Amino acid sequence: MKEILSVRDLGISFGSNEVLKSINFDVYENEVLGVIGPNGAGKTVMLNIISGILKPTHGSLTFLGEDLLEKKIVERTYAGIGRTFQVPRSFEAMSVFENVVIGAAYGNGISEKAAKEKACEILNFIDLYDKRNQPAGKLNLIGRKRLEIGIALASDPRLLLLDEVAGGLTKSEVTEILQIVSNIKARGISIIWIEHVMQTMIEGTDRVMLMAGGKDIITAPAEVVMASDEVNMVYLGADDNE
Amino acid sequence: MTEKTSSRRTKNIIKLIVLIVVLAVLVVIPIGGGRIRMTSVLILVFLYMAIAQMWNLLAGYSGLVSLGAQAFVGLGGYSLAMLSQVYGLPLWTGFVAGAVISVIFALIISMPIFKMKGVYFTVGTWIVAECLLVLFSIWKFVNYSAGYNISATYKLTPAAIYYVALAICVGAIVVVVLLLRSKFGLSLMAMRDNEAAAEIRGVKLYRTKLICFLIASAITGIAGAGLYLNIAYITPPSAFNISWTVAMCFIVVIGGIGTVEGPIIGAIIYVILNQLLYSFPGFSMLIMGVIAIIIIILAPKGIMGVVNRFFNVDLFGIKRRL
Ligand SMILES: Nc1ncnc2c1ncn2[C@@H]1O[C@H](COP(=O)(O)OP(=O)(O)OP(=O)(O)O)[C@@H](O)[C@H]1O
Ligand SMILES: [Mg+2]
Repeated sequence: MKEILSVRDLGISFGSNEVLKSINFDVYENEVLGVIGPNGAGKTVMLNIISGILKPTHGSLTFLGEDLLEKKIVERTYAGIGRTFQVPRSFEAMSVFENVVIGAAYGNGISEKAAKEKACEILNFIDLYDKRNQPAGKLNLIGRKRLEIGIALASDPRLLLLDEVAGGLTKSEVTEILQIVSNIKARGISIIWIEHVMQTMIEGTDRVMLMAGGKDIITAPAEVVMASDEVNMVYLGADDNE
Repeated sequence: MTEKTSSRRTKNIIKLIVLIVVLAVLVVIPIGGGRIRMTSVLILVFLYMAIAQMWNLLAGYSGLVSLGAQAFVGLGGYSLAMLSQVYGLPLWTGFVAGAVISVIFALIISMPIFKMKGVYFTVGTWIVAECLLVLFSIWKFVNYSAGYNISATYKLTPAAIYYVALAICVGAIVVVVLLLRSKFGLSLMAMRDNEAAAEIRGVKLYRTKLICFLIASAITGIAGAGLYLNIAYITPPSAFNISWTVAMCFIVVIGGIGTVEGPIIGAIIYVILNQLLYSFPGFSMLIMGVIAIIIIILAPKGIMGVVNRFFNVDLFGIKRRL
């Protein structure tokens, strides 16, 4: 399989706090790569580097054969990187529909009319069509998570970065999210999916990367990672389903 | 679905009729030369409303809180004064020059001040305006701090000034509404709600903000010329006075920041309050300040914030529906 994103020796320090020391991995075409690791391991920081919000101290990012670090935030969106945020960042005073229209119109650089048509399709896909004219700020948690996914999808990404979309949800809602992710994968989109809910990692990913101490400890199919000594070591005394 | 669309259409027709009626009434008011006081008050309402729309375009949508709107009021006013008084050109040329000079000036200062973020930008705009005040006070070309009488305006009737002010106000609102209804407006509203998220979704922040800054500068320049068409006498301390911008803050915050309706309501309230408090000169600022503080505490999003909590107001059809 062909890799879509290659991360090599990625590191970042905030002052004397070396959050990422050396992260190395590939994401392949049409793959869901899960990312796990304790709180503060730097998972969100890694996504922020990939989407351009943070600059790494060292390392390289290659996306579809191009050097990603040369690109600004918006250029990475145009190039095909979409993301959600751990703390949802929708446009609260605007309607659900308008939120998705923005994702399509600006992420894709298409006309507003074309963006509206795209938004219709996405709203059905994330099952928010009924709530389309509500202000985004009034959605419940699962609604906001779905909307985050919808806005990101509207820009037609090749690679989607999901940051804890299942966190804080009920069991049946987690199942919904698993379904949505598998539908996204079916569209041919690759995904990096950070999650603490282990069920999603076991059921919804092709491979899982364990991050700890600023490094990628092990990257393998979920059942291999979960049974590894490394996981036991990292989560020693910690609750798996935190 | 079709029922919904048709009720929406009915609403739109009602809105359009209301807007036309309001406009028609405003056009009729000064006819015949009566209602002098009302005419003079409305001139101020219109011009403040136009500038407040621009201040809101920056502070409310682009996250650019400026304390330097007076720079453009002054440039517009001086354009009018210089061209008509010194060069003997017709008054309208002052408006054109006011817009052009404001845009050029905005473009030049954007390079340094757009590098400043948040409160630094705010202070930066203020310093720029203060520099203009000092410069104009010591500059022979603009007659130092003595300024100019704009005598060509003496021949104008109040009604003529009124129509100029009305045209500027309607023009400013139309520009803002057209902006917000276009695709560009989507990015403005996204920036208003969450700037960082807007950027991730593909909105080019620098470019978008710069366009808003240039538009706001041009129209503030034109409205500045309008203000001095009415005042007929210009000096640097009056033209480049920060009180112009303080008034805009008051208007936008009271009315509701980040809405088109907010500055409209705010300007009406501000000018009327100012007239009522005219007889208590020392106290008027104090009372206005207290009113502003009370409203900010009770309704942080201004009057439109409260209204929008109960009714989803969209007088100008800016919200997209499906
Ligand atoms: N912009 C920043 N400046 C300074 N330090 C930061 C910044 N962003 C993150 N950090 C630090 O980096 C570390 C990793 O944070 P990060 O949010 O990536 O953890 P995480 O793995 O996503 O954890 P969680 O599972 O709780 O979301 C934390 O110690 C955090 O304080
Ligand atoms: Mg995180």
